[in-house]
Amino acid sequence: MNPLSFFSGADPLSDVGPLSAPGLLLAAAVTAGAASLWLLLPRGRENRITGWLGLALGGLSLAGFVATGRRLGGIGEEAVFLTVSLVAVISAAATILTRSPVYCAIWFALSLAGVAGVLLVLGAQFLGVATIVVYAGAILVMFLFVLMLAQPTGMASYDRVSSEPLLSAVAGAVLLGLLTLAIGRLSAGPESAPTTDAPTDGALASDSLAADQVARLGAELFGRHLVAVEAVGTLLLISLIGAIAVVSRGEAAAADEDRARQRRALP
Amino acid sequence: MTSLLSVTSPSASLSVLHNALIVGAILFTLGLVGILTRRNLIVMFLSAELMLQGISVSLVAWSRYHGDYGGHVLVIFILAVAACEAAVALVFVLQAFGRTGRLDASAWQSLRESNLSRVVDRELPASDTVPPLWPTLAPAGVLPKADENEPLQREHV
Repeated sequence: MNPLSFFSGADPLSDVGPLSAPGLLLAAAVTAGAASLWLLLPRGRENRITGWLGLALGGLSLAGFVATGRRLGGIGEEAVFLTVSLVAVISAAATILTRSPVYCAIWFALSLAGVAGVLLVLGAQFLGVATIVVYAGAILVMFLFVLMLAQPTGMASYDRVSSEPLLSAVAGAVLLGLLTLAIGRLSAGPESAPTTDAPTDGALASDSLAADQVARLGAELFGRHLVAVEAVGTLLLISLIGAIAVVSRGEAAAADEDRARQRRALP
Repeated sequence: MTSLLSVTSPSASLSVLHNALIVGAILFTLGLVGILTRRNLIVMFLSAELMLQGISVSLVAWSRYHGDYGGHVLVIFILAVAACEAAVALVFVLQAFGRTGRLDASAWQSLRESNLSRVVDRELPASDTVPPLWPTLAPAGVLPKADENEPLQREHV
């Protein structure tokens, strides 16, 4: 019994096994992606050759992932999905590969735009807009404020070295390989397999452009999940108070230290 | 537009699920590698947010596949918890910066276990500090009087 077969609820098909052609292509893509990350992660010395080699390997890896993706049916939806997901993935990679933390934050904003596009394609209009508003509008700006407050002058040395790039790239390759294997087995299952859960493209996907989608989402949120909404509201309040308490207590402690130092210096 | 967002056949729905799950897995893995390798505390938190984005994409894909709103509701909760996490974490990052003057995670390695070895930076080559490259602008207006004792610009962003 394959340990991954529980994921699909059906017997794993033979044509998506790790030794078939798409499986080999996926394995090659994952390996190339890991090698590209290892080459491109910041290290003390900039090297032009490894940079270009890393970029080429990253492009090959992305091409492999695109080639193994499932066809969606129409050329239009394929183009849209490909564009937004490539924007999300490429700028996510640039987020972790860029030396300067400010540019990291800017790349992360672009990745958020790509993720919002993916959510829109998946029919989650409210979440796509909320991702832009909450993440890019609020959280990311908070990150940038802290960067501006705390960034020492010049480019710091710890931004130009990374800890254990080889081991991390290998760990990422293992995780991504397992995930893609599981996903491939999952979605290669016969159409009859997951019928218990009604993959009939149900009420949501067929009317994802319905005018009252947000109203239905609100009804679900404040109906079935009302207690969780209250809990999250309390969590927001607690974190707000906690942040203020930590800041004010830290300042008080610093002031106490200053006063004690002056008192020691006086006599 | 309607044909773009509404997939009718079950196999196409399964394909959308597959592709979106792959995108979510890639985002999650990139965030994991980032949080493992980068040393800047703020970039580590950005990587954690990247992992949350991957999870959000996967949840919404499952929600579309099953045709209910469970994944959407979970993503809304993820947004709220991420906001809380960012607020509290950035306060701690600022406190840590105030104590050490660095945003380096290795600045706190005195907290490590006693049987672990100390992280030592390899020597950075001196040639790595490239001179700043500023854009050249056509001179216009009156040159402002600057205080020469005070540095006006950082060398890098």
